[in-house]
Amino acid sequence: MQQTWSRSIARVAALVALCALARVVAAEEALPALGEAVAGGETWKTDVYYENDTHVRGADYTGRSVGLSKFRNTLQLETDRKLSGGWAFHGILRGTFDGAYVLNDTHFGNKAGGPVELQNSAGPAAAAAGVPLPPAYAQGMVPQGGGIGHTFVAGAFGLSNNAFVDSYANNPNSGMIVLGQNWHATAQGGVEFGVPVRPCDTDSRGCRDFGGYGNEDLQQLEAPEFNNRLDVLREAYVKKTIDLDDTRSLFLKVGKQQVVWGRTDLFRVLDVINPVDYSRNNIYDELQDIRIPMWIAQGEYRMGGSEGLQERNLQVVWNFDKFRPNNLGQCGQPNVILDASCFFRGMANLWDNGGTVANFANFSQSGAGPWFATNFGAHQIGIRNVNLPDWKLDNTQLGLKFEGVTQGGTSFSLNALSYRSQLPSLHSINGAATNPFLGVPGNLPGGPAVARLIAFDVYYPRVNLLGGSLDLQWESAKAAVRLEGAFTQGEEFANSLRDQLFSRNPVFRSVIGIDRPTFIPWINPNRTTLISGQLFFQHIFQHESQQGLYGTVGMPDWENNEIGTLLIKAFLNNDRLSPQLIIAHDFQADATALSPQVDWIFSDDLKFSFGANVKVQGGISNWKADDCRSCNPYPPFTTYPGQTVGSAGLSGLEPLGIFRAGPIGAAWRENEVYVSLRYKF
Amino acid sequence: MHKTYFKVMAAAFFAAGASLAAQAATDADVESTFSPYKGGFPSFPGLSAGMVINKANADQFKDALAAGTYKLLKDGMFELKVGATTDFALSSGYIEATRKNLNKAKLGARTGELEGYVAGRPFPEEPKLDDPHAGDKLAWNYKYGVNWGDNAQINPFYWKYRNMATGQVERTIKFDFHFLNIKHRVKDAPVPEVTPNPANLYRGIYVHVQEPQDLKNTQLLIQRYEDDQKLDDAYLYLGFQRRVRRLSTGQATDAFLGADLMIEDFEGYNGRVSDMKWTYKGTKNVLLPMWNHNDLKLAGDMPKEADGYQYVNFGGQGGCFFEGTWQLRKAYVLEAVPVNPNHPISKRVMYMDAQLQNINGAEEIYDRKGELWKTFSVGKSHADHHLALNKGAGIGIDDAFSVVDLQARHCTTGQFRGEVEFKSNPPQMFQVQYMRGGD
Repeated sequence: MQQTWSRSIARVAALVALCALARVVAAEEALPALGEAVAGGETWKTDVYYENDTHVRGADYTGRSVGLSKFRNTLQLETDRKLSGGWAFHGILRGTFDGAYVLNDTHFGNKAGGPVELQNSAGPAAAAAGVPLPPAYAQGMVPQGGGIGHTFVAGAFGLSNNAFVDSYANNPNSGMIVLGQNWHATAQGGVEFGVPVRPCDTDSRGCRDFGGYGNEDLQQLEAPEFNNRLDVLREAYVKKTIDLDDTRSLFLKVGKQQVVWGRTDLFRVLDVINPVDYSRNNIYDELQDIRIPMWIAQGEYRMGGSEGLQERNLQVVWNFDKFRPNNLGQCGQPNVILDASCFFRGMANLWDNGGTVANFANFSQSGAGPWFATNFGAHQIGIRNVNLPDWKLDNTQLGLKFEGVTQGGTSFSLNALSYRSQLPSLHSINGAATNPFLGVPGNLPGGPAVARLIAFDVYYPRVNLLGGSLDLQWESAKAAVRLEGAFTQGEEFANSLRDQLFSRNPVFRSVIGIDRPTFIPWINPNRTTLISGQLFFQHIFQHESQQGLYGTVGMPDWENNEIGTLLIKAFLNNDRLSPQLIIAHDFQADATALSPQVDWIFSDDLKFSFGANVKVQGGISNWKADDCRSCNPYPPFTTYPGQTVGSAGLSGLEPLGIFRAGPIGAAWRENEVYVSLRYKF
Repeated sequence: MHKTYFKVMAAAFFAAGASLAAQAATDADVESTFSPYKGGFPSFPGLSAGMVINKANADQFKDALAAGTYKLLKDGMFELKVGATTDFALSSGYIEATRKNLNKAKLGARTGELEGYVAGRPFPEEPKLDDPHAGDKLAWNYKYGVNWGDNAQINPFYWKYRNMATGQVERTIKFDFHFLNIKHRVKDAPVPEVTPNPANLYRGIYVHVQEPQDLKNTQLLIQRYEDDQKLDDAYLYLGFQRRVRRLSTGQATDAFLGADLMIEDFEGYNGRVSDMKWTYKGTKNVLLPMWNHNDLKLAGDMPKEADGYQYVNFGGQGGCFFEGTWQLRKAYVLEAVPVNPNHPISKRVMYMDAQLQNINGAEEIYDRKGELWKTFSVGKSHADHHLALNKGAGIGIDDAFSVVDLQARHCTTGQFRGEVEFKSNPPQMFQVQYMRGGD
């Protein structure tokens, strides 16, 4: 504790010192020259900002009030300078320190989590049926480590070489939560396991580098920009326009930067060149602040007009940076989109150390249960490796965009991008894992190859995207209309019908957005209120889903889904006071986010925001998906009566219900109020 | 019956002939429109250069004041310093183009239709009250006026949002504005048109916000079509979104970035001719803010520019009024009533300087209920008494503006540093792609 405080105080002191230095720099504009400055005395133009963003979260599903979920202090320095030869430099340094990990360490820091209890629904039933069980196994809830293990299996089935375990020296029942406990009821007959939640320097269990997240220590969680990818250097690029004649030019921009495609707010269809850091504030921060800048070279040939088009532009984007995926947050952080990384961390821990899985081993030979909590050993189930693409030419990402404006004023773009998926794809390693019944990999001699085993390696597959966008005026409606669409090939989805538990499916996404400034006299008779609506649509081609023995088998993702968003933003007091309401509704998940906010510009240098973020849902009963406990990788041990091939379809909210709940549904118990201030020195 | 019909037709024929004859402008009209003071400067009883008009003596000069200016004076909001009337000679290229293309421009069947226009002032003849199209013609003269010339930038351009009651400067926005005539160019190469121009655009306005933090890198692009029936295309690049958004038509008639003026207010009127019903209400001599920038006592509280340029000072109630001199000018009173009944204003009354044929020296904007809502006034400097670069530009250089919201008791003021030249306003700047090249 003393050490933690000391370290935090030291870090705050360092930030304060940096702040003071930056302020001096801003005042003096005396940074050393970058290269050769232009003649005429052009100097650095530097702005320094401080921002505090404080969020307080209500009770999660356990009923415990979460409290402080963000106390983030950001210092940002933006600098520009004209260089010789027509080049210009732009740089942004950003450092943050989030005090929530120390100030609320029982939820997000070194004291987070605790011992967990996992459902063992077969315990009481088996005891009642007279099965000679050790008393510990007869309980309806058992602690991590309290499931049926080696001794029980050996005794009950004569499998003396089985690799189930009786206890966990390396996986104690502490510092854990039950997977999903923050957003749904547990112990409802589904599959669950304990997930370590403390920072990785305190508890290294399940820590994996998923490409910038997943293995962070407390310091890295508190101050995420100070990492080995030097995220503190948020942007640094040079740019230049080379005029070819009055209307044609070449534009070059090289360095660490964001490249924004598309015309969509909140959700991304074409805007996929930069990965996104969802750990900062889920999907609710401006994309500018959560896109992860990459080292990119972009060139544009701005061709001007032609006989048919008023403007033409050809853009080439080469992302030559080492691959980075979206940051989904690390389990134990306040923002863990889709709760995905809790599943990842729990699974990685299961692979490394083994662990108890609730309601896994069937007792009644029926799809209706009950099931015993089961003690898996290491290297049997879980996540083994995360295969991050190395830096090599083949792994770089290339985009091409043609953009034009027609004679009638319609703007459009045609886009093509070859990139790496920014979301992880889990491939079952099947026969490479230890069969716990036999103590060795593989099935019994003469048996089928191991299939649909919940032991995975993580990959980031290459995805090819073709898309386009356009916007136009809708004069009679006094509105602007935005359209965007993209077709991808190479995206991978969980699929319990496939032996490796994933399939590669083409996907079409589109969005239509309408922006209409509208006079609403009771809000402001002299200034319009912006009403902006968007409707996203996603279709997964070759979607696979079918009825199994006990439930639906296949892909948990919806074949078709729509998300609607509505922004109502008013402007008062000469735009210095701006209340707004954002509503987002996921139609299939039947989950809604409501986010009222008021921005108050106190002065040109000081701005406050107050708001709340509330989610409601009505569809949780539809979120259950095949949890693969009946995937039957090791027949006959895992075969249900009547089961032939493939999963029998036993389902639960974990682990794949998140794909049906979506980012709004999975966060429906993360309701917050917040206040932020931003000051420019 | 037939006899009556014949008489009516004959009368109509002769009336039309008389009208056509009246429309035919002459070289004398050209001379008169560009040199209205050749025969001497106007005068008003009791008015002389150097005097001050204020609340106490406003009534004496009421007939030499725009109605809005009179109200501001009468309410004691500022004091008006009178200067000598001076000749604001326009660029010879524009005058020559007017002469060369005399009588080529014809009004179409509907407001917003103009045929045969090539360059210069389309209707140099003196407007007549009995000409039902006189207002339309003045509107066209404004649209194709010399305005900011073929190309110009205002950089920097400071806007201040002020509370009139307290004088508090609530916001300061630092812009750069750029203007380019894509067609009908008369002075700077390329003349007469920037090509290729397949969409047949007439003009572009590009706006970039340099400060403050929350608006930094916001950019606005307005593309105006030669065909007045076509809506402007307008795009907004929001720095915090890093994305170009198309503006819907409604946003042109909305407060721009919280200021007291709309996009439609830029330069006095920044919309289509066809969006308004134009009425010429008469000619009168009125005091308009026009001066020699270098002769003014300039602001000491503004940032110093590297070339030593200083901005026009502001004073009066709430600091809402520029401290330049006003001179007696021949002006056409022009009224514009929106065609769209849902337009946020009910009418504009503009005092168009007869020589420059700009409309923003004094302008009154009425709300939907018909009550005076805002006064808008742009003070102009003679180009030869401004930055050395502007010498000989032959336009009135917009030098300071004041928009006063009389109902909200709030104002927005503007301080210009205008440069009339091509280099800082390349055609690429007026393309959508240019906005995406920002930070």
